[in-house]
Amino acid sequence: PTGPGGLTVPRAGLKKFQQPPDYSGIVLPERTKLKFLEKVPAVPNVKREPRQLRDIRGPSQEATDFTQGQFGILALGGGYLHWGHLEMIRLTIGRCMNPKSTFAIWRVPAPFKPLTRKSLGHRMGGGKGPIDRWVTPVKSGRLLLELGGRCEFEEVKPFLAQVAKKLPFPAVPVSRESLSLMRKELEEKRLNNQNPWTFERVVTGNMLGMRKYLSPYDLRLQGRYWGKFFLKHRV
Amino acid sequence: APLRSGGAAHHRAPFSAGWLPALQLVRRGSKAVTRHWKAMHFQRQKLMAVTEYVAPRPAVPPRCLPPVEEQPEEDNGYARLLRRQVREAFRDNRMIAVCQYNSMPGEDMVLMRHYLRKHNIEVKFVLNEIVRPVLSESKYKNLLPLFVARNILLVSPETKAKEMLRVLRGVPQINLLGACIDDTILSRQGVESFAKLPSLEAAQGQALGALGLLPSQTSSLLQRCSAHLTALLDQHIRQLQDRETESPAEPSPAPQSSGAH
Repeated sequence: PTGPGGLTVPRAGLKKFQQPPDYSGIVLPERTKLKFLEKVPAVPNVKREPRQLRDIRGPSQEATDFTQGQFGILALGGGYLHWGHLEMIRLTIGRCMNPKSTFAIWRVPAPFKPLTRKSLGHRMGGGKGPIDRWVTPVKSGRLLLELGGRCEFEEVKPFLAQVAKKLPFPAVPVSRESLSLMRKELEEKRLNNQNPWTFERVVTGNMLGMRKYLSPYDLRLQGRYWGKFFLKHRV
Repeated sequence: APLRSGGAAHHRAPFSAGWLPALQLVRRGSKAVTRHWKAMHFQRQKLMAVTEYVAPRPAVPPRCLPPVEEQPEEDNGYARLLRRQVREAFRDNRMIAVCQYNSMPGEDMVLMRHYLRKHNIEVKFVLNEIVRPVLSESKYKNLLPLFVARNILLVSPETKAKEMLRVLRGVPQINLLGACIDDTILSRQGVESFAKLPSLEAAQGQALGALGLLPSQTSSLLQRCSAHLTALLDQHIRQLQDRETESPAEPSPAPQSSGAH
């Protein structure tokens, strides 16, 4: 603050001490580290399944909200997680977290979907290939794992981001507050959009015959999803 | 490419949300979900461009408006404690001197505090952000301009301004800005002249002496006439005695005049 008639050296004011966070209600489960997930299910399905890429497309209906933990990784795109990814997650989280004060739980099941691959160098035909690997399909907006316990988001964010970078789809570390903030911002954007023409309006009214160039799924997806990609900037 | 006719077999509700195209091409291009970013039809691209989000623009941009300063919440118990301490200091002490504080070596600081403590003067470090609200609500509003930069308060239940000034003269880093002595705000010159004043007891004695001067003169005033007369008569007696000694034969009328009184 400058006094009357001259320069004054700015100096620090009163230090405001923060109350330490209250972890009294936290109950840690017995096994705090992530469970080991099998590469192949115990009773593997012999019959080969059709591709069903609709399990990648669109928004997720399951595991969209937090249950036990405070922080997690949110998938912002669709994709398949195979055993290598799951092991990477398990080992990285197990290495970075403190098993005595934090716990982690899977929100994603072990791989249950068989993918086939034809052997290399053969022509088309000859039937469907044998089962090559097993994967877990993940849609956008799904939580992959949850972390909780006596920790803060700032402590947990670095290694969650490290894990999220290595996933085959875009992902971000989130906390309960940041997820609700994201959703609230989306709602606000939807309400204060100054553009009178929205994708929803055009599609439901089939303005200019647009549905000739759009898929029937676009009624549900509303232009926010394209294939397995989630278009974050669209409202 | 094989075609499939859509919508003919199943029931179509009238005026439902849009219509399905009559012909759907089954084997054309890649599937809907691909690893790569599937190229959009140009019409779809145009639609996506038209239906983008447009952010609201207020008529007056927020940077042209005066900045909204958020009031910090003063629920801080520590701040409340400090403010209470300042209020008590102002209440319990007769002399409060505000000095500018420049950084000085530690040992000099300790020595100065020691000398001041000997005269029962305590040194208090105060933060402006705590003192200013306290002062503005109390009756010491005129002290507010002093609390700008780094300050210390020298508080004492007695008013020993002379000793304080002597100590402060020896310390160049502390400059006296002003003082509040017995609820009277004094500037630096005022404090110096206050120090030059005699102490309260001496001043009281002086006042008593000045007051008692007139009554002490009253008795001498009343007796002045008779004293004057007595002096005149004594002089007369002396004159007569002198004349007697010159002419001892004459009877002196002095005993008669002295008997007349």
